[in-house]
Amino acid sequence: MTETAPDLDRLRGGTPPRNHDARTIAALTANPGCARRGVMDAAGVDKDAVARYLGFGAPFGQSQFAITRGNAFEAQVKADGCAELLTLLRDRLGLAVPEVAYDDLEVVAGNEGREVRHARTRRLLGRALDSGEGTLFDHPLLRLEIAGQPAYLEPDVIAFQLEGRLHIIEIKSFAVVDGQAEPEQVAAAARQAAVYVLALRRLVGELGHDPARVSHDIFLVCPENFSNRPTATPLDVRPQLAVLERQLARLTRVDRILAALPGDLTFEEGDGLAESVRTVEARYAPDCMATCEMALFCRDEARACGATGALGRSVRDDLGGVDSVQTALALADGSLARRTTSPRRPPSSVPPPGSAPRP
Amino acid sequence: MSQPPGPPATPDALEARIGELRAAVRRAMAAGERDAARDLRAQLRDAERSWDDAVLGSPPRSPARPAGPPADRPAAARRGMLPVRERVHQALTLLGVPAAPKLIGSVYAAFLPGEIPGARLTSLRRDEERSFRTAPYARPYYMCAVLTADLLAPARGLLAISTWPLELRVAGPLSARADFLTAAVRLAEHAVRGGRPVAPDAQRLLWRFASNIPGATGDTVGTVDPAVLIEAARAELDVHRDADRELRERAARRARAQLDDAERLFGSPLRALRRAANGSATHGEDER
Repeated sequence: MTETAPDLDRLRGGTPPRNHDARTIAALTANPGCARRGVMDAAGVDKDAVARYLGFGAPFGQSQFAITRGNAFEAQVKADGCAELLTLLRDRLGLAVPEVAYDDLEVVAGNEGREVRHARTRRLLGRALDSGEGTLFDHPLLRLEIAGQPAYLEPDVIAFQLEGRLHIIEIKSFAVVDGQAEPEQVAAAARQAAVYVLALRRLVGELGHDPARVSHDIFLVCPENFSNRPTATPLDVRPQLAVLERQLARLTRVDRILAALPGDLTFEEGDGLAESVRTVEARYAPDCMATCEMALFCRDEARACGATGALGRSVRDDLGGVDSVQTALALADGSLARRTTSPRRPPSSVPPPGSAPRP
Repeated sequence: MSQPPGPPATPDALEARIGELRAAVRRAMAAGERDAARDLRAQLRDAERSWDDAVLGSPPRSPARPAGPPADRPAAARRGMLPVRERVHQALTLLGVPAAPKLIGSVYAAFLPGEIPGARLTSLRRDEERSFRTAPYARPYYMCAVLTADLLAPARGLLAISTWPLELRVAGPLSARADFLTAAVRLAEHAVRGGRPVAPDAQRLLWRFASNIPGATGDTVGTVDPAVLIEAARAELDVHRDADRELRERAARRARAQLDDAERLFGSPLRALRRAANGSATHGEDER
């Protein structure tokens, strides 16, 4: 996996790589067959910049208001040495009073380099596992192997040690009203938290400890009811973990995709960018709009060549090997079916995958 | 600086004064006297408001107004004429421990007249460092950084006063909590000093502390008995104090041995790593 690193650097064209976060990894597992996304993410290409350069910049990203609200709530919970968080953990989990240590892993001595931060994360978590020292670890920088490539994860969470076990605390700004939160939001949070749990387990394993010391129960800290007061809810992410592990194992290995690409391919901004991006095959589905910065470009491409995926993943799956809308229509009205298949066959029937006639 | 006393001025006199003040602001800015310019601008705004009142006929506010509580005084006085660093110094002295700008702002607003504009705090530490490096010890005190105990690097978002002992200006993993409790004790003590009832702003601030210290809250939500708060905070502080002090003292000893004056106040960058990353010492000015 290390021998592909120079290729990936070249793909990025000299710009520094972007960190993965749980959002991008959760999205990656949502569309595991997309080679374009796989390659660009593995190389840490700034997809947003590429899309904008190509004229397909997303007109709106994540809502600025949502981001601000999220940051403000997180700052509130963590203010004054995590005062509110400690109160919550003491009330709900019976955290002992002496357990108040807080280590900030977001910046190491003014240095935000990923290697430095990851090294410090390893050191402090290793110490915590060995001696039980330390309680809260803010913003640990984790590493997870994605499609054969190690990717750094920028988790917006706190790892929390209670009686020798590590838990993930995720601070989210959606409200829990009367013990209930919006299921969609909770599902997204659980998916992201599962990524962190998995990465943390790998790290603990690398440090020579039992990965099961990272709990599958995560704590979701959200505003309670209509107030700004935080509340903590335990969340079991075992189902999400299972899905994630399966998807990650299934991901096409990036080196295999890279081997099939021309040797001088690069995603550097320039005249050939659109051509380079098209060289890598995409697998567009409308769901991409919610998760991928390249979605508008891929949608345009998919519509232009009439790919069935543009109509939705279920349509593509139903149509099996028929990969363009024209073919499907031709088969449906019989003009294509009559030429290549038996005339007695009903024209609306779809041939089994693999035997689809080509126009 | 307050408004000229006496009867309400005529619009003509006010216009003349506004003209004068505008010129004075311009002169002060040209001379680089930012503080003077700010004061003059405050006066200018007051004069303009008086002109509004005199010409447009809003309720007469300026005449015969006693120097009342802070909220009634004109904006210039409410903001306080003290430079930001003085105000931060006052708030930090009251707290007695390093604090984040947000807490400094709330403490100042709750216990001292006026407020600290938040935007000015962000650049304060950098300005202080620059001032110290150009002319070391030219000022009686500096707003400085807190050093992290393990790497002796500046901790994020904390301010301290340079005259404090070094043990107070380094922070280990327990220090955030210990300082929080110490601050709670000090603020509660200050609130009851003089036997006056606790002002609503101060009450709110103390509640923020009390609600996060076990056993510090009374029966009713939102009201704090400072004596109970002090007792509860001290009780928890007893648990952390020794471990925290030991870590801090050890770090302070290391800082004295390894760092020069400026670095002891503002932290040291990660030199060895940086040099390794760059291959050669290109950051010569940062090196000793």
